[in-house]
Amino acid sequence: MPPLPVITGLGFITSIGQDRATVGRSLRELQHGFERVEFFGNPNLPVKVAGTIKGFDFPTPSWRDWRWPDRFTVDRELLRGLAPHGVYALCALQQALTEAGLEPGELGDGTTGLFCASAGSPFMLGSFLGQMRETRGERGNPMGVVSSIAGTLNFNLATHYRITGAVCGFVSACASSSHALGYAMDEIRLGRQQRMLVVGAEDMTDESIMAFSSLRALSNNPDPATASRPFDRRRDGFVGTGGAVALIVEDAALARRRGAHIIAELIGWGQAGDGHSVTASHPEGAGLREAMRRSLADARVNARDVGYVNAHATSTVAGDRSEALALHATFTSQGARPRVSSTKALTGHGLSLAGVMEAAFCALAIDEGFIPGAAHLEEPDPVCTGLDLPRTSLAEAPGLVLNNSSGFGGSNVCHLLRRPA
Amino acid sequence: MKTSAPSPTASTEHEQSIRHLPAPARAAFEQFQAGGDPATLDPVVLAILADFSPRASEIPLADLPGDTMLIDDLGFDSLAITEVVFAAEDLFRINITNEEIVQVRTLDHLRGFIRAKVAGRSAR
Repeated sequence: MPPLPVITGLGFITSIGQDRATVGRSLRELQHGFERVEFFGNPNLPVKVAGTIKGFDFPTPSWRDWRWPDRFTVDRELLRGLAPHGVYALCALQQALTEAGLEPGELGDGTTGLFCASAGSPFMLGSFLGQMRETRGERGNPMGVVSSIAGTLNFNLATHYRITGAVCGFVSACASSSHALGYAMDEIRLGRQQRMLVVGAEDMTDESIMAFSSLRALSNNPDPATASRPFDRRRDGFVGTGGAVALIVEDAALARRRGAHIIAELIGWGQAGDGHSVTASHPEGAGLREAMRRSLADARVNARDVGYVNAHATSTVAGDRSEALALHATFTSQGARPRVSSTKALTGHGLSLAGVMEAAFCALAIDEGFIPGAAHLEEPDPVCTGLDLPRTSLAEAPGLVLNNSSGFGGSNVCHLLRRPA
Repeated sequence: MKTSAPSPTASTEHEQSIRHLPAPARAAFEQFQAGGDPATLDPVVLAILADFSPRASEIPLADLPGDTMLIDDLGFDSLAITEVVFAAEDLFRINITNEEIVQVRTLDHLRGFIRAKVAGRSAR
C-alpha cells in the first residue's frame, strides 16, 4: 500500500474558538468571531470589524508586554524570537500534538517534518526597521529578523521542537498554508517523511489587516453580524482575522500502528495559476477551476463524489463571483450539486492561515458528521443560482470534501479530504 | 560588526528602557544618576541581565556566586548577550565592542567590566 496522509491532530487559535470543541460548536451553531475594533486608534477609518483572537494581547512589540490565556505555556527562551502569530502557532501546535497523542520529544528523529505558512509580521518588522532608521543603523533588536520575516514560524517552531526532518515555509499569500498542506501530503506520499506538522498563522494587528484597506479589499460594513457575507449580493469586502491552526499529518500505517484516531484522510490535492492579475482573481475562476480538476484527478474521484465544498469565498465582490463560476464549471455542468459554504462568514479571512484553518474545519466536519452552513447569507448573488448553499449547518456526514484556496497572483490550491475507510 | 556609542538619550527614553526592571534596580539607577558612583550600578546590571536571560532564574542573580558563567550556567547565547550589551550601552552611555564583550564570562566579570566602562566615561 502506498503511504496515505491522514490527519490525527488539530489545534485551533481562531476567532471562533481556541479548542476543538468550541470551534465545532461555532461551526454548527454559526456563531461568528467578530467584534467592533478601532484600527490604529483612528475612529475615522471606515473599517470597523475584525475576527479577534480573544484572551491574547500584544499591545507593543516587546514580548514583556504580551499576554495569553493561562492554559497555554510559552517558554521565555522561545518568546523573544516570536511574532504575535508565533505565540498563536505554538498554542495551536500544543493542542494538535496533544490530540494526536504525541510528545514533543518524539519529533526529533528525522521522520517528522514541519511546513509552515505566514506572511511574516508587519507589526514586528515595522518596529524593528523603525528602530534601525531612528538610530541610523546603530541599534536593532538581535531577534528582529527572525521574529518578523516570512519564515519566522518555521525558524522558531523547528528549533523549539528539534525538528530534523524537512523544514520549510510557504509564501503564496492567501493560498500559503494550503500549499504547505499539499506539499506536506506529498512528503508523506513520496515516502520522504512519516509525519508532517503543518502550521498556518497570521498576526491580528492593525498592520496586518489594514494593509488590505489600501487595496479596497476590506468590508466597510460596521455590523459584526453581517460584515462578512460570502456569496451575498450585498457583500462589500472581507473581514480580517489572524490566529493559528496546526495539523498533524502522518502516514495512515504509522497512525494505525500508534493507535491514533484518524480524523480524516487527505486523498488528493491540486494547484493551478490564473495567469491573469496580481490582485484580482480570473473573472471566470479559470485557475481555481483547473486546480479543482487537478485535485479530483489526483484523488481519482469524480465531481459527483464531492458532498461538501469549503469555498475560499472571502466576501469580496469579484472573488466570490469568480469562485461561483468555477464551481458551476466544475460541478453544475457535470450534474453535481455538493453543499457549498464559506466559513469565512464566521471567522473572517485569515490570509496565509486560511487554507489550513479551513482544511481543519473540513476534517472536523468529517469526523463529527456535519456540514457548516453558509452563515450571513440572506440574498444570494444571482451568479450562485444552482449552487446548494445551506443557510444552516446540517447534521449530515459530508462524504468527500473539497477545500478551496486562492491567493494573490492567481495562485489556486484545492485539497480533497475523506472519512477514514 | 562593531557596536558604537549611541547619542545621548533623553531621560524619558531611560524611563522607557528601565520600566521592566524591578523597583530596587530603578532606584539604584536614579542613585547613580544623582551621585555618579559606578558601584551603585551593580543591581542595575544584574537586573538587565535577568531581563534578557533566556531562562527565568529561580535564584536572584545577586545571590549567585560571582564566578557563575553567563553562557554555561545561566544559558545565555550570543543574541541574548547582544541584547544586554545594547541595553547597557543605551542606559549607561558607554561603548562596548564585540572584542570586549566576548572576554566577559562571569557575573563578576560583567559587574567589573561595566563599572570600569562607566568610570572611564566619567573621566573623559
